[in-house]
Amino acid sequence: MESVVSFGLALLLAPLFPGVILKTKALFAGKQGPPLLIKYFTLIKLLRKGSVYSASTTFVFRLGPLISCAAAIMALLFFPFAGTAPLIAFHGDVIMVFYLLGLGRFFTIVAALDTASPFEGMGAAREAFFSTLAEAAIFVVLILFFRMNGALSLAAYFSGSQPISIIGSQGALLLLVIVALFMILLTENSRVPVDDPATHLELTMIHEVMILDHSGPDLALIELGAFYKLFFYASFIACLIKPPPLADPVANTLLFYGVIMLLYMVVGVVESIMARLKMDLVPKYILTAFALVFFAVILTLEIV
Amino acid sequence: MDILFAALLLVLAGGLAPLALHRWLSAAKVAHVSLVAAGCLTGLYGVYAAWGQSTPVLFSCPWLHSLTWSLSLDSLATAFLPPIFLLAPVIALYSYDYLDAVEHAWRTAVNHFFFSLLVAAMVLVTLADNMAAFALAWELMSLSSYALVLYDYEREETQRAAHLYLLFTQTGALLVFAAFGLLAQSTGSLAFAQIQLAPQAAKTAAFFLALIGFGSKAGVFPLHIWLPHAHPAAPSHVSALMSGVMIKMGVYGILRLYFLLNDFNPLFARTVLVLGMVSGVLGVVYALSKREIKRLLAYSSIENIGVIFIGCGLGMVGLSSGNRIMAAFGFAGGLLHVLNHALFKSLLFMGAGAILHTVGARKMDQLGGLMKTMPVTGRTFLAGSVAISGLPPFNGFVSEFLIYYAAFQGLGLQGPDFLLSMAAIIALALIGGLAAGCFTKVVGIVFLGEPRREHAHAATDPGPTMGAAMTLLAVACLGIGLWPEPFIRFAFAGLRDLAPLAAVSADVLGAVPHNLAVIARVFVGLLLALTALRRLLYRGKPVSQNTTWGCGFTQATSRIQYTGASYSLSIVDFHRPFIKTTTKFAALVRIFPGATQYSRKVEDLAEIGLHRLLVRPVLKIADKLRWIQHGHIQLYIGYIVFTIAALLLVV
Repeated sequence: MESVVSFGLALLLAPLFPGVILKTKALFAGKQGPPLLIKYFTLIKLLRKGSVYSASTTFVFRLGPLISCAAAIMALLFFPFAGTAPLIAFHGDVIMVFYLLGLGRFFTIVAALDTASPFEGMGAAREAFFSTLAEAAIFVVLILFFRMNGALSLAAYFSGSQPISIIGSQGALLLLVIVALFMILLTENSRVPVDDPATHLELTMIHEVMILDHSGPDLALIELGAFYKLFFYASFIACLIKPPPLADPVANTLLFYGVIMLLYMVVGVVESIMARLKMDLVPKYILTAFALVFFAVILTLEIV
Repeated sequence: MDILFAALLLVLAGGLAPLALHRWLSAAKVAHVSLVAAGCLTGLYGVYAAWGQSTPVLFSCPWLHSLTWSLSLDSLATAFLPPIFLLAPVIALYSYDYLDAVEHAWRTAVNHFFFSLLVAAMVLVTLADNMAAFALAWELMSLSSYALVLYDYEREETQRAAHLYLLFTQTGALLVFAAFGLLAQSTGSLAFAQIQLAPQAAKTAAFFLALIGFGSKAGVFPLHIWLPHAHPAAPSHVSALMSGVMIKMGVYGILRLYFLLNDFNPLFARTVLVLGMVSGVLGVVYALSKREIKRLLAYSSIENIGVIFIGCGLGMVGLSSGNRIMAAFGFAGGLLHVLNHALFKSLLFMGAGAILHTVGARKMDQLGGLMKTMPVTGRTFLAGSVAISGLPPFNGFVSEFLIYYAAFQGLGLQGPDFLLSMAAIIALALIGGLAAGCFTKVVGIVFLGEPRREHAHAATDPGPTMGAAMTLLAVACLGIGLWPEPFIRFAFAGLRDLAPLAAVSADVLGAVPHNLAVIARVFVGLLLALTALRRLLYRGKPVSQNTTWGCGFTQATSRIQYTGASYSLSIVDFHRPFIKTTTKFAALVRIFPGATQYSRKVEDLAEIGLHRLLVRPVLKIADKLRWIQHGHIQLYIGYIVFTIAALLLVV
C-alpha cells in the first residue's frame, strides 16, 4: 500500500518541480516569473486541444510520445522514493530501467526523423550521439555501486545493511559520483549547458527541436514523460545526499521532497549563471562525467 | 539420431527436386519450400526428442575403410541446431517470391540445391564428433555458401566478393585443419573425445590457430573483411542464411574446441573477451558509417558476433577463475544471442532484400518514406531494429541482460579479470547506444520522412511469401521478449553436457526469467493503457493535416532532409583514430559560388592493414618471381622432375 501511495505521489508531484526551476531563473533575472503550478496549467491546456499532423508522418510519429512516456513511468515503478519499497524490484532491475529509457529515446528519435524536417534530423543526430556517451557513464556508476554494496537494483542500493549514501563509510567517493550524476542529469534531460530549453533558435536545440511537430495531447504525453525522466534522475541523486531516514514516514517523505526541491533549484541556478556549451564541446563535457566516475571506481580497488 | 537423418534426407531432397523440376519453376519452388520445411520440422522434432535424454546420442560408422564417420548430439549441438532448423524454412519461404525471375529458372534451381546443401552441411558441422567428419562438413558448408554467393555470377563485383570469401574461408579452414593436425599428431587419434589428452603446448597452439580460423568464419573484427563484401553481392535470402545462421558456426567451432580441450587457460578467456569487445564496438561504428543497407547490416553482424564473443568470453573467464555462476550466465547469454541474432538479422536482411527487389536502390540516402508504401516491410523492419538494438520488450534485450548479469558477477574478481569485466560492461553499454543510433538511422532515413528520389515513390510491398516470412520473424522477436522463460531455459540446457558446467544449470537462474517476463508484459500493458487513454483524449477533438513545420521556411523540398551521412557524421568522427575517413570538398569561394561537390569515404582499417601488410608484400615477391613463368613446357616438366627428386632425397 505504501509503495502504491509513494508511486502515486511521485507521478502527481513530478510536474511541480520544473516550475521551481523557472521560479529560480526568474529570481535571478529579477522577474516575478510564472506561477509555481505553471506546468500543470500547460498540461491541462495541451490536453484540451486537438492536433495538427504533418502529412509526411506515419504511425511511428504517434507512437513516439506514447512509448517515451510509458518508458519514463516504468522507470519510476522501480524507484524507492523516500526509502519506501518500490512496486517492483529484483537483482538487475537498473539495467532494465536504463534500457527502457533507451527504448523511449529510440522512439523519440524515429518520431523526429518521421517529420522529414532537417531541424528535427539535426536534433535526432545529437540526441543519439550524446545519449550514447551518457549511457556509458551511467553504467560506470552502476559498476561503482556494485563494487560498493554488491547490489544491482535501485531498491537495494539505498536499503539493506550498507546503503549507498554520502554519510556512509564511502561518502567521499560519492562526492565524485554526485557531481558526475548531476552532469548526466543535465545532459539526459536537455538542460543548460548541453541544451537550452528556452532558446528561440531551433538550430541550436536538441530535445525541443525533436518535438517541434507534436501538438495537443501528444505533446502533453511527451512533456509528462520528460518531467518523469527528470524526476527519476533527481530522485537518484537525492537518495545519495539524503540524511538517514527518519522514523516518521510523513516527515521522511517531506525531507525527500525537500532535497529534490533543492536539486531543482540548483538546476535553475546553473541555468541562470551558465551559457550553453558549443555543440562540439558537449562530448568532452559528458566524458568529464565519465572520467569522474571511472576515477571513483579505480579508488574502490583499494577500499574493497 | 534416425529422425535427424530423415530430416537431412528431406532437406537434401528439397535441393534435388528443383533440379529435376526446373522447367516448371513454380513447381520446383513449391517442392523446395515444402521439402525443406518438412525436413526442418522433422529435425526440430528430433532435437526436441533428444532434449529429454540425459546422455548424448552417438552414431558412428566406418567410411572409406580408413576413416570413421562419427556423430553425436549433445547439449551444445541442441543449442545450435534450432536456429538452423527454424530459420531455414522461413528463409526458403521468403525465397519463393524473391527468386521470381522466370528467365533464370535453372539458376534458381541450382540456388535451391546449394541452399539445401548448406543447411545440411551446417547440421552436420554441429553433429560431427571427430575431426574427419567435422572437416568434411566444414568444407561442404564453405563451398556451398561460396556457390550461393555467386548467384549473379556475371557481375564482376559479385565475382570479386565471392573470391574474397573463398580466400578467407579456405585460409580459415587451413588454420582449423592445422589445429586438428597438431592435436591428432599428439594424441594419435581423430576422435574429439581424445583431444583433452593432448599436451599443454599443443592445446595452446591449437586453440589460437583455430581461433583465427573460426574467427574468420564468424567475422570477428580484424578477420571480418569478407563479410561487408559478400553480403551486398549475394542475394538477400542467402545473406539472411549466411549472416543469420552460418557465421554462428564459427562461434560453435570455438566453443566446441574450447570445451574439448578441457583447459581453462585464462589467456584463452581474455583473448576471446577482448576480441569480442573490439569487434562489438568497431563493428557498430563502421555500421553507422555505411551508406548501403546490406553493407551496414553486414557490419552490424560483426557487432553482434562481438556481443556473442563477449558472452562466451565472460563465460570462459568465469570458468578460469572458478566463478561458475558467471560462467553459466555468460555462455547462456552467448547461446541465446546466437538464436536471437539469427532471428532479427535474417529479418533485417529480408527487409533490405524487399527494398532491393521492389525499389532497386542500395544506397540509403536515395530512399525515404517507404513506411507508407511498404507497410509490412516497414513495420517488421522497425520491430527487427528495436530487437537488434537490444531494447526491451524484444528478444535482443533478454540475451544482453544475461551477458550483463555475467559481467557484473565478474566485478567480484581480482586483477585483470576485474578490469576486463568492467570493460565488458562499458563496451556493452556503448554498443547498445551506438546500435540504437545505427538502427534509428536506418529506420529514419529509409522508411520515414519523404522519398529522396523519384523511384522510392513507386515502391510496393513485396510478394505474400516474403511478407509472411518477415512477419513470422518479427512476431518471434517480440514473442521471445514477452515469454523469455522457455528460451532462457533452452540456453541454459545447452550447457548441460559440458562437464565443468554440469553442476550449475537451472538453479542459479532463480527468478531472473520470470522478472524479465513480468516487466516486459507490464510495459506492454502500460503502453496499451496509454494508447487507450490517448484515444479517449482525442475523442471529439479537431485533428488536421498540414505540412511539416519548417521553422519559417515554406519552400521545403525532400532534398533538405537530413541524410544518413549527416546523421552519423559526428558519432563516426568521434571514433576517429579507429576509423579512417576521407572527405573531398571544394570549399565555397567568392560571393556567387558555382556548383560544388562533397564526398566522404570511410575505409576499413582492417582492410587497409591487410592490404599493406599482406597483399602488397606478396604481390611484390610474386612480381620478382615472374621469371619462373616463361612458357617453355620442357622447363616446367623439368621443375616437376627436380621437385620430386629433391623430395625423394630429403623426406
